[in-house]
Amino acid sequence: MASAQDVQVLAVSLKVAGLAVGVALPVALAAAYALSRPAFPGKSVLDALVHLPLVLPPVLIGFLLLLALGRRGPVGAWLDETFGVRLAFTTEGAACATAVMVFPLLVRSMRLSFEALDGRLLEAAALLRAGPFDRFWSVALPLAGPGVLAGAATAFAAGLGEFGAVMTFAANVPGETQTLPLAIYAALQTPSGEARALSLAGYSFALALAGLAVGEALNAWARRRLDR
Amino acid sequence: MIAVAARVRRKGFTLDVAFEAPAGVTALFGPSGAGKSLLLAAIAGLVRLEAGRVVLAGRTLEACEAGLRIPPHQRGVGLVFQDARLFPHLSVRANLAYAERRAPPDARRPGLAEIAARFDLAALLDRPVRNLSGGERSRVALARALLSAPDLLLLDEPFAALDGARRRRFLAALAALHTDFALPMLIVTHQIEDVAALAGHVVGLQAGRVVAAGPVREACASAAFQALLDPRDQGAAYPARGGASGAGGLAWVRADHVLLARARPEGLSAQNIWAGTVASVAGEPDGSVMVRLGTAQGPVLARVTAEAASRLALAPGVEAWAVVKAHAL
Repeated sequence: MASAQDVQVLAVSLKVAGLAVGVALPVALAAAYALSRPAFPGKSVLDALVHLPLVLPPVLIGFLLLLALGRRGPVGAWLDETFGVRLAFTTEGAACATAVMVFPLLVRSMRLSFEALDGRLLEAAALLRAGPFDRFWSVALPLAGPGVLAGAATAFAAGLGEFGAVMTFAANVPGETQTLPLAIYAALQTPSGEARALSLAGYSFALALAGLAVGEALNAWARRRLDR
Repeated sequence: MIAVAARVRRKGFTLDVAFEAPAGVTALFGPSGAGKSLLLAAIAGLVRLEAGRVVLAGRTLEACEAGLRIPPHQRGVGLVFQDARLFPHLSVRANLAYAERRAPPDARRPGLAEIAARFDLAALLDRPVRNLSGGERSRVALARALLSAPDLLLLDEPFAALDGARRRRFLAALAALHTDFALPMLIVTHQIEDVAALAGHVVGLQAGRVVAAGPVREACASAAFQALLDPRDQGAAYPARGGASGAGGLAWVRADHVLLARARPEGLSAQNIWAGTVASVAGEPDGSVMVRLGTAQGPVLARVTAEAASRLALAPGVEAWAVVKAHAL
């Protein structure tokens, strides 16, 4: 049976990954759709920007977030004064760091679904008087929808395992920011903590597998949907 | 009335055309690779003009020198694509409703049910589009385009997937559309019979240029237009019996099916015997001779052997009778 501690760790992990994907999804959707369209000014800059979190060390991402969103950072101070929101060392902060890390994963998988979309259908929609936003909502998103969800499921599974950026920006606070990988790390730091680390690793493994399975099922749906 | 002057450059191909067409049905005719589909895409706004302008019924859709370009969704131009382009995530009914919902509210037009009945789609409405046959797709695509109430309808070889009786029904439905809704149409086709049956006006294209344009009977009889045709298809358009077979009301008769006589023929089974004057006599690459005759019924084209041409002493200015043996006239 899972101990109360384990349940807490699982709850924090699911909440952090869920919030992260929820926050990153709309932005990733817009970026992916833009990148799937024919060349426009600034496309390569946007493409590079999207991929930054994939190539920068996660610890650096956490550090940059701390500089910007920490209580003394320009954005963090403003958030604190205006809304009383503090991100550093909170669940929301951990979600924020995770969102940045899963962002490129989301964009890449969604971009693939938008690119697999037949652009000629968007032309047909335009000639039925559908404007650019109308075309996105009525044709592009419904057709790419399953692929978008598959990307979100994969990003959720990856978000459960985010370590470096969360550790740096949100620290390892049990019940607040201590997600599965952070709890495993903490367990390994304590003498005779291997048993707990092993049981946590089991949950981590099961969740990751479940995330991949859901993603794969959605991908199969996406392929059927785009198959004309 | 549509006026187009368009230059579009593609890899190894330049479309450079200028023509005007009245508000009726105009056929764009030419061999494949002539730029017909590209021209439709340019009028619809799917490809950007390098130079030129498109004016539809006094409304400028694109004018390069003025930097004006109305995007496709605001042009009021419908396009029936050769590949139908139905939305695969929607049923037939939802495809049609997609267009109807986005039509301007003030457009007086038939509704979904009426259009579905007209194109024999009632039984298909709740089917997903992936199970439709090619001909069914064409009909749904046409119905969908009409439901968006366009000011100009472009059709890119709409008959490609149809044959036999269905094709004739589709042709009749298209012709009826024009008469019932006064909807200007621009139809791409490479079937000369369709040009005669449907169109009042024709634009002949070859290698991105207009080689002949004008009212169907006159433009089609020109030597430049005949050069676009397969030699077997060369001929002329004549008023069809009753004028009811299409909006064009014409039937195409191959020059091979026209006999020439120097004296009024008697006792023939053929009904169409017209007197005229030879306008030109031209030798063809295959050794035959194409004789152009001006008659009170319009231009007539007859193909005879070189031997017959010299035996009858056919030359410009001589009088001759044309016997047009065609059931459709």
